[in-house]
Amino acid sequence: MRSEVVCVKDPIPGQLETRPALKVRPFVIATGVAATILALALPFFGATFAITLATEIMISGLFASGINLLVGTTGLVSLGQAMFLGLGGYGIGIGSSLLEAPLWLSIPCSLVAVAIVAAAIGAICTRTRGVEFLLITLAFSQMFYGAAIKLRLTNGSDGMSGIPRPDLSALGLSCDDPAIFYYYVLAVTAITLLVLWRIVESPFGSVLASIRENERRTAAMGYAVGHYKIGAFVLAAMLCAVAGILQSQYTYFINPDSMSWQLSGEGVLMVIVGGANAALGPMIGAAIFILVKQGLSMVTTEYLMFFGIFFMLVVAFFRGGVFGAVRSLIGARP
Amino acid sequence: MLLFVLQLLNGLQLSMLIFLLAVGLTLIFGLMNILNLAHGAFFTLGAYCGLVVASTTGSFWAALLVGPVLPFAVGALLQYCVLQPLAERGRSTHLDLALLTFGLLFATAGAVELLYGSAFYSIAMPASLSGHVSLFGLSYPAYRLFIIVAGLAVAAALLLIVDRTLIGATLRAGVDNREMVTALGININLLFAIVFGVGAALAGLAGVIAAPIMSVYSQMGIGIVVTTFVVVVVGGLGNLRGSFYASLIVGMTDTMAQAYLPEVELFAVYALLIVVMIVRPQGLFGAAGRVA
Repeated sequence: MRSEVVCVKDPIPGQLETRPALKVRPFVIATGVAATILALALPFFGATFAITLATEIMISGLFASGINLLVGTTGLVSLGQAMFLGLGGYGIGIGSSLLEAPLWLSIPCSLVAVAIVAAAIGAICTRTRGVEFLLITLAFSQMFYGAAIKLRLTNGSDGMSGIPRPDLSALGLSCDDPAIFYYYVLAVTAITLLVLWRIVESPFGSVLASIRENERRTAAMGYAVGHYKIGAFVLAAMLCAVAGILQSQYTYFINPDSMSWQLSGEGVLMVIVGGANAALGPMIGAAIFILVKQGLSMVTTEYLMFFGIFFMLVVAFFRGGVFGAVRSLIGARP
Repeated sequence: MLLFVLQLLNGLQLSMLIFLLAVGLTLIFGLMNILNLAHGAFFTLGAYCGLVVASTTGSFWAALLVGPVLPFAVGALLQYCVLQPLAERGRSTHLDLALLTFGLLFATAGAVELLYGSAFYSIAMPASLSGHVSLFGLSYPAYRLFIIVAGLAVAAALLLIVDRTLIGATLRAGVDNREMVTALGININLLFAIVFGVGAALAGLAGVIAAPIMSVYSQMGIGIVVTTFVVVVVGGLGNLRGSFYASLIVGMTDTMAQAYLPEVELFAVYALLIVVMIVRPQGLFGAAGRVA
């Protein structure tokens, strides 16, 4: 899943100094600033349609970022991340409708619960790699999918409705307003991405990248590779759960379909479209995916077929992703 | 007791159906290192191709013969024209190829939906097999018995081919050492395409066989293919005999769970997989230390 061949042999010392990171940075900052201004100003000139579309993009982008932490950063291709998206949504669904807990309590509790579940699942899944990892994550997500349909706790295949949005009446605002909800999602997305960026840039993130490049060598350097992989798995799961919480608040609804493996596949597709290694890639991938999906839904009802064909074309011909293509266009790539 | 024997037979019947799918998947993985997530698409293609043949000729047997032809052609062409060139360009790892076939799975389901809508179809059972057979003092549908016999026959034929013929020897050699086989002057690309096609045809055969007892619809392959993955992992990726035993284990687990513990029905098979992964990550019958 590497989007570029990284030199595994020892690099020439001088080359280390002129890493593309330095050249990319102004570009990244410029896009970042532009994106921030655009994102903040959108509700003032955009139609409601544009606002809801942007909300959807951010939620999907968070989901894709969670997948990217596994696929792009650590090199573990999972086809089961939708289970954590669903768990997050069901977490606050059960918390608010059955336990009648307020959101400030049910959201942290859901995230902790997801982290615990993910640690257990991750401990089993990370014993394998490659296609076996892909298959076992898929199996786990199918198991949760089955459980969500069967259990009375989750109201079976009908799902749970009435998922609450945050109550901002103290500020005189109502989250039912698409623009207000948009700002709420924007704030959560910005904070989450900032935290994610710090994690990827931290020594912990470097170890994850080195596991992707050469797992044996990383282990030989004395890192407990297994623990790092479980750590990445838990963090990725929590990111997906955050996306799931926002998603269920966005639709006021959660049902077993949000754990389907097609959704996991869509997330992987967004990551590939955005470029597996890039920091902002998942967001851009999500944006392209959502826009293409919207565009397709206007011209055809056969979404499934075009999704499949789009997926195949992207995997076959578009490996660096859009972000990689843009970067090579402006000459930032070595 | 009678009920248990009945469930045992039902389990055996489901196992054989799963085996027809799993054997192709495991052959393809063993030889080409490609995890064919689109295997369920061939199941669907076979069923629909059989449906068309059955409705034009009115004969189930014609459908059984012709149904697998379309999956064979699509599978062989996919390998020869798409997967093989991509693998040779070196741009794609086998994980990318797996994701590509994932796209194909949904594209096929969508295409079938475009052509035939999302209605449910069925192929009529042949008259000669629509009765019941008395067996161990109970009456069992002849058609289900036919599925069991067909599955066992395919298993026996495959074992015979793989173990006793030159083609089988080439195939086994290809699994062990691809370069060496190429060096001996064998057109490995052609062999790969044929094996891919045969695997797809077996999945298509399963589709036709399943059509009289299961409903035929556009997404029929998406559900069953996940069960097949469980079989392939439990049996050990690329292990032909393992996939047979694992089909029995998975088919029986599923049937018994449905009969005696309906509340765990949807996840009994996955729980089985997870236990196997904890105890033996390389699969129950896999050679130790195989790195996929």
